Amino acid sequence: MHIPDGFVDGKTAIAAATLSATGLGLALRRVRRELPARRMPLLGLAAAFLFAAQMVNFPVAGGTSGHLMGGVLVAALLGPSAAVVVLATVLLVQCLLFGDGGVSALGSNLFDMGILGAGGGFLVYRAVAARLRGLRGQVAALAFSSWCSVVFAAIGCAGQLAWSNTVAFATGFPVMTTVHMLVGLGEGAISALVFLAIHRVRPDLTSGEGQATRSGGFALGLLAVLGIAVFVVPFASPLPDALEATAHKLGFAAKVISPAVPAAAPDYRLPGIHSAIAATALAAALGTLVVLGLAMILGKVLVGKPRGHSAKEPPC
Amino acid sequence: MLKNWIGHHHEHHHGIVQRLPAEFKMAAAVLIIAGTVAAPAHWHAWFASIAILLLVTAWSSRISFGFLLRRLALLSPFVVGVIVANAFRPDFHGDWRLLAARSGIGLFTVILLSNSTPFGQMLAVLKRAHVPPLLITTLALMHRYLFVLVEESERMRRARASRTLGRSRRARWRVLASVLGQLFLRASERAERIFDAMCARGWK
Amino acid sequence: MKSATKPAIEIENLRYRYHDGTEALRGVSLVIEPGECVGLLGPNGSGKSTLLLHLNGILPEKLTGSANVRTFGETITQQNIDQVRRRVGLLFQDPDDQLFCPTVFEDVAFGPQQLGFAGASLAERVEQALTQVGLAGYGHRSTHHLSHGEKRRACLAGVLACEPSVLILDEPTSGLDPRGRREFKHLLESISATKLIATHDLEWAVELCSRVIVLDGGAVVADGPTATVLNDEERMLAHGLERPHSLRHHHPH
Repeated sequence: MHIPDGFVDGKTAIAAATLSATGLGLALRRVRRELPARRMPLLGLAAAFLFAAQMVNFPVAGGTSGHLMGGVLVAALLGPSAAVVVLATVLLVQCLLFGDGGVSALGSNLFDMGILGAGGGFLVYRAVAARLRGLRGQVAALAFSSWCSVVFAAIGCAGQLAWSNTVAFATGFPVMTTVHMLVGLGEGAISALVFLAIHRVRPDLTSGEGQATRSGGFALGLLAVLGIAVFVVPFASPLPDALEATAHKLGFAAKVISPAVPAAAPDYRLPGIHSAIAATALAAALGTLVVLGLAMILGKVLVGKPRGHSAKEPPC
Repeated sequence: MLKNWIGHHHEHHHGIVQRLPAEFKMAAAVLIIAGTVAAPAHWHAWFASIAILLLVTAWSSRISFGFLLRRLALLSPFVVGVIVANAFRPDFHGDWRLLAARSGIGLFTVILLSNSTPFGQMLAVLKRAHVPPLLITTLALMHRYLFVLVEESERMRRARASRTLGRSRRARWRVLASVLGQLFLRASERAERIFDAMCARGWK
Repeated sequence: MKSATKPAIEIENLRYRYHDGTEALRGVSLVIEPGECVGLLGPNGSGKSTLLLHLNGILPEKLTGSANVRTFGETITQQNIDQVRRRVGLLFQDPDDQLFCPTVFEDVAFGPQQLGFAGASLAERVEQALTQVGLAGYGHRSTHHLSHGEKRRACLAGVLACEPSVLILDEPTSGLDPRGRREFKHLLESISATKLIATHDLEWAVELCSRVIVLDGGAVVADGPTATVLNDEERMLAHGLERPHSLRHHHPH
């Protein structure tokens, strides 16, 4: 989901970069204050780990394969602020050394995947894990919140593309959201499996007690909400007048910054378009419930009986 | 294979670009990309001159064109996806050619930059630009241990693959997840040893 | 004949437990005089690495001075830890753990920088250390792309740049080819610091060390001249080692 240069226009890139820079600044401050010196190198190593992990192919069907994005996994292991720092590092290196993600889109990508994805996903993780019990509950919470993180990032991406007039929200939102609701299933499953693999050897790392930066989630959550309000809400409103007025205002603002950006087209009045957005929103809501249920089943299957080892676990 | 992606080329080629100061190259890259993203569609002169500038720079850097083109070809499926998604809409905002031009220029610029400038120098520039030291250290450590972890993960995968008898997807997923779990644990332990090594040489 | 100078290393009844409670060191005592080259042998899990980490204060985690480790007469405490680490240089088992900087120059310069060196004097120190290990001119090379032998030598340069009086090495020859082993041996012979070398390479220890200490199960089970200790085949086998071939056929001197 790394946005290349040119897909996000000037004003959107700047807005997203402002939000991301704020989030990153806050995260860095928190990490500096709370992470014990002994664990500082772990940030860089975790970034290297994510990079290496993202290269591993999990076969899905035919020639396709899934990959771990890992934002929520790292947040569950190291805390949300550390996760934002780690993700920013990964995105920077991917951008500069591999051209994966545009330089002008760094702020946008960090916002989508770091703040919305990892930050928002972590908040979900904490909330769900608090309500479900035991290791099963933790695994289920991680699987579900990892799925959420992918969907959140996709929504943010669609919002930014719409703000930039690259892809209309009515097209981008349904496509990105539905595709990533599927992709997110892989993310959830892989995150859960890796989390368990770590837990079997070092339960202290997965317990959350060793997390240096448990706090910081609230600030990130606020930034995430702010971003959603800016990038997504204007397009998702079913009221054509409010929408057109907002888009018009945005069009005006955009004209000041970049004269070539046209004002938003008046197609949002068409009922067919509206139903696409509404239908996707409904599907996402239903999907959330379904995935939560699936995650809980996954937790049961993977963890087995609370006492003793499940017979399914391989010896290694 | 990953080794070919990072680092080697600026050690072997000796064009003018490689010798320019890193600040200059990075600032130029940022200006080119920012300008290209902001430039309106009808500013053909801008796009044309930037393209020429990049081609000239690439030629003078003596990095092989085939190499550069191969990297460019990896322009993400993202681009294709967006173009496809938009191709069927009558009110497609924005010319697909414009999109391709902008992202192509952005990618080409970054490829030139990263192949003519050692990462360490880029980090030094960021440090002078007052990027927080914690982020700089994290970037440096990530870059240093990237290969180490990728090689470790490849070795582990090969070792596991030679022991995995179940061909089912579930078995493979279990194995891969186990490899990733191990990789994280090793990374975590290595991080502690690195800290010890830093302390052993007087770091506080 | 007791020497008038203080021992380079003096350990008295050192005990250490891991987090899970297992005893790693059970009352280790040893004395190493300045200038000696001592080998530390023992099977895997005997506590060699744990012992070495006590010699420059990385262990125990809290330095109260109660761990009875003294260098040149001074107990290692939180107050004098900086001086200790300047005097005692530790070479880790995995060179990748120690070479954490991107270029060779930066890595070798790390130690002197912590000591306050900068600018020209820093560069001089680095060049000197690199020349000493045979890596002159390697400063600009990236640490990742070195061969294993070069990495080990770069690590040694990084430690030598701090001019330690005691050099502690943890398995320095593992992963080296025969030429690398030989060259490393010559390198160590040319360094005058007191040396304590943990190694599995018994032949190498015979060539390099005048004295060996054998550790097993966290306790010292033998301590004496190399040939004497290593010739005791029964005892060697009992502690997971063996009698090196070179001693089977030559008369120990």
